[in-house]
Amino acid sequence: MAEAPRGHMHPISSLIREATTIFTGMGFSFVEGPLLEDEWHNFDALNVPKDHPARDMQDTFFIKDEPGMVLRTHTSPVQVRYMEEQIKKGIQPPYRVIVPGKVFRNEATDMTHEAEFFQIEGLAVGPDISLANLKGTLTKFLRELFKGASVEIRFRPSFFPFTEPSVEVDMRLVGEHVPEKLRDRWIEMMGAGMVHPDVLKNAGVDPSQYQGFAFGMGLDRLALLRWGIDDVRLMHSADLRFINQF
Amino acid sequence: MKISRTWLQNYFAQPLPEAQALVDALTFHAFEIEGVDGDILDVKVTPNRGHDCLSHRGIAKELSAILGLAMKGDPLRVPLPEFPIAVEMTVDAARAPVGAAAYVRGVTIAPSPQWLKSALESVGQRSINNVVDATNYVMFDMGMPTHAFSADTFKLGDTVRYGIRSSEKGEQLALLGGLAVELSGHEAVIVNASNEPVDIGGVKGGMRAELQEYTHDVVLSASKFEPVQTRKAAQRFNQRTEAAKRFENEMADECALYGIRAVAELVRDVAGGEIIGYGIERARTPASRSVSVSLTKINAVLGTKLGETDVADVLKRLDLPHQQTEEEFIVTVPFERLDLVIAEDIIEEVARMVGYEKIPVVELPAFPTKPEVNTTFYAAEKMREELMAQGFSEVFTSVFADKGERVVANKVDGVRPYLRATLTTGLQDALERNAHNKELLGLKEVKLFEIGTVWSGGKELMMVGTIGEKEQASEKPLESTDAAAYNDLPISTLVRYKTFSKFPSIVRDIALWVPAATTPEEVLAVIRAQAGELLVRSEKFDEFKKGEKTSYAFRLVFQSFDKTLTDEEANAVMEKIYAAVKEKAWEVR
Repeated sequence: MAEAPRGHMHPISSLIREATTIFTGMGFSFVEGPLLEDEWHNFDALNVPKDHPARDMQDTFFIKDEPGMVLRTHTSPVQVRYMEEQIKKGIQPPYRVIVPGKVFRNEATDMTHEAEFFQIEGLAVGPDISLANLKGTLTKFLRELFKGASVEIRFRPSFFPFTEPSVEVDMRLVGEHVPEKLRDRWIEMMGAGMVHPDVLKNAGVDPSQYQGFAFGMGLDRLALLRWGIDDVRLMHSADLRFINQF
Repeated sequence: MKISRTWLQNYFAQPLPEAQALVDALTFHAFEIEGVDGDILDVKVTPNRGHDCLSHRGIAKELSAILGLAMKGDPLRVPLPEFPIAVEMTVDAARAPVGAAAYVRGVTIAPSPQWLKSALESVGQRSINNVVDATNYVMFDMGMPTHAFSADTFKLGDTVRYGIRSSEKGEQLALLGGLAVELSGHEAVIVNASNEPVDIGGVKGGMRAELQEYTHDVVLSASKFEPVQTRKAAQRFNQRTEAAKRFENEMADECALYGIRAVAELVRDVAGGEIIGYGIERARTPASRSVSVSLTKINAVLGTKLGETDVADVLKRLDLPHQQTEEEFIVTVPFERLDLVIAEDIIEEVARMVGYEKIPVVELPAFPTKPEVNTTFYAAEKMREELMAQGFSEVFTSVFADKGERVVANKVDGVRPYLRATLTTGLQDALERNAHNKELLGLKEVKLFEIGTVWSGGKELMMVGTIGEKEQASEKPLESTDAAAYNDLPISTLVRYKTFSKFPSIVRDIALWVPAATTPEEVLAVIRAQAGELLVRSEKFDEFKKGEKTSYAFRLVFQSFDKTLTDEEANAVMEKIYAAVKEKAWEVR
């Protein structure tokens, strides 16, 4: 009997593979962290105090009979975990890591919202890492990801408790090969900024010597844009009518 | 927050630019704009600026800095007068760091003047009467929530008494609008002369001291309530009022003093009467704050080459007084800017005012060491390739399940609250859902795999699970693998995803004799021409020769984008195909 035809990879896995290749080329290491996270790493260490309206930005799943444990609402707690581990091993910055992984928001699902989805976090810390480097890194990443199109990015002011300054990053694709729906339009891609000195301090890194940038991007949304997918719920549908197209 | 361009204009002598220009100015230098409707902007004030920007004054201040337009006047920069005292205050400082009340005698409750009505209606508020409208106006204008009570129950003989204390568990309070609530002992309440609650502090007023048409004397309140308990109280009674929103973001203590004065004067102006006096109780006097930042640090963080004059100009535009010694800027923080605490906060002010488009694009320098290979990811990638080579396709199923060791305490939709302890249940379910699409997908067998997290034996584990129509679901832990570098593996080559029909498909086979020289493609072309868009897949599954003739067998899959196809509809298409085939003198077997 003939060999079975090759199976298909989930689009998110393909994106993570591609992003990892691009970021590895820029000196970033792939790191991971637990999905079931403690509140300190998910919130407090990231400068999101209890009972502060900033926590409203996250709708959190709590775990019964396990006070202080949450399903992580973002990949950012891994920033803190990674830096803590390095400091424990006596390794000072520079650090460069990416954290692709699953995150959770306790909200009703629809065509653009899922309770579980994927993010990719990036962190670069060193004596002189600047916001200009953030622009350079993201520009390079998006240009390699959207090959064949001319990619522009822009920053807008924003707020995240764990970065200061904080920015929202928009992308614009220009070029004949860009699908019409995306062409020449500014699209919101991610939140980013310079790591808040308190976050460095909480992780044991001396903010008077080191600074850095961080970003967090939704991979599901990136997949939607990349392939023109119309419903984010397809990502967790396990439907081969979807997956086998990739 | 809804911001009216007309309202903002009060702050400027020069005419403001058109709404769209204000949108652009705010978008690129301050806040996201969620919508524009004529001259009304819906501004998404970030949580760090809830202190001072949930107000027209705050947005005017931003626009003044961004556009370089001088403000005609800033209500938070005028010196405060001595407040004549007419209200006896008993304020629990833990609940309200500032108690601020005013007593106004002889007002006439009436409809508001047109300007006031229009202003409130323009930002989506209902006009109620002149006194209530004055309190709301002050809140939307300068960000300080204020409230008006009928003074009757605050009076005791010749004195007016106003208090703030914690509620007592079990105390009853009928809120404005009629909802009766039982207090928990945790909220702050404003109390009258008889120590009865008349208001959930910072959240909502009560009916006990509601203004009536015949009310002549009013007690006004602009006390500042403590943020955390105000937020909890608002949540407890599901009263996320405009006032509660502002208190939970915390405004400066001084705002209470500016607020009480503004509301007393506005009530007098629109409803008449006489300001008899105030009651002010401050538990603390916040010290003046300063933040230092050097030009070197600003440029190091932003990656820019700004000069001293660039920074000085930004600080001036933002009305942030500063002193400069060499390249060090020492900023005296205005009281309302509770968000400015560290050097990076000032750096952000510089960045957004100079404009983020001025930040250069600079690639990272080379990293001194080679990136580490993640052993879990490496193993997952290896496993993925092996399984795909065996014909398995990758799925992600939900981590939420009907069974498991751990359970989510607060799942919004209530369904499947457990964290899965196994991948097999999800895979089983996915297999069943995909099995009937096998023909549509052109698969001989549906085979699935998932690499995902489970919570089992008290641990969070990464598992690899597989299932096929001919094999039971099974799973094993993903064993991490050491490697020197990642392999160069293929990525998806798909260009654009195609939406698929959600309706079921129908399968029909056709077998026919054709002359030996006829190719399957020729036959398919005839079939496709007849079947049209309903034919979503066609595949030759058999072929043999007998003398001068060849027999081909094709599997045809029909599906509609709009509806579930019936057998009759599929049969009708097949009849058309049979007729066309016959015309070609091909013989259906």
